[in-house]
Amino acid sequence: MKNSIKVERAKKNITQAELAKLAKVSRQTINAMELGKYVPSTVLTLRLAQIFEVEISEIFTLEDSDWV
Amino acid sequence: MITLILEFQPNDLNFNVPAIFIDEIFGDTHFIGIVNNNVLNEILGVLIILSSLLVAFSKEKSEDEYISKIRLESLVWAVYLNYAILLISFLFIFYLSFLWVMIFNMFTILLFFIIRFNWQISKLKKSARYEE
Repeated sequence: MKNSIKVERAKKNITQAELAKLAKVSRQTINAMELGKYVPSTVLTLRLAQIFEVEISEIFTLEDSDWV
Repeated sequence: MITLILEFQPNDLNFNVPAIFIDEIFGDTHFIGIVNNNVLNEILGVLIILSSLLVAFSKEKSEDEYISKIRLESLVWAVYLNYAILLISFLFIFYLSFLWVMIFNMFTILLFFIIRFNWQISKLKKSARYEE
């Protein structure tokens, strides 16, 4: 799964630490998500969408490898 | 741990303690009774288990879903490793020396978990440190 958390973060001009605080997770989790190492839960996904004020599909997109 | 290995038994710790199952070497087998036993190894065993449980399952300062995932993964990994080692010991360690395997095996599963979990967490912290 690809995500554009880094882009959305840049648009809002907030750091990983600030986003982590808003989403109530650790900074490491934000970092791991941006690097594609961690697929967040549905709840966290919804929280991020609400923080960035966009639809989930605008942040997260499926890749071919997700269908294997 | 060292006391468990050396079977150090101070005399003033000998007590009559209740037992659920008794199988005496030169006696008969029966359920529920009283046995005279040195309680030092019981005390140490309980302390080791309780303290490693506390170390293993205390929440991180910032416990979130990713940390929980790492925790679960580490636990599964520790179980696999523990049984792999047990399997090898089964095949290649015999007689009384296998008793040592059994004694250590009581504690290794938590030990492996603690090592692996903390290693993963420190790796995670290191990788996150250099990002803006």
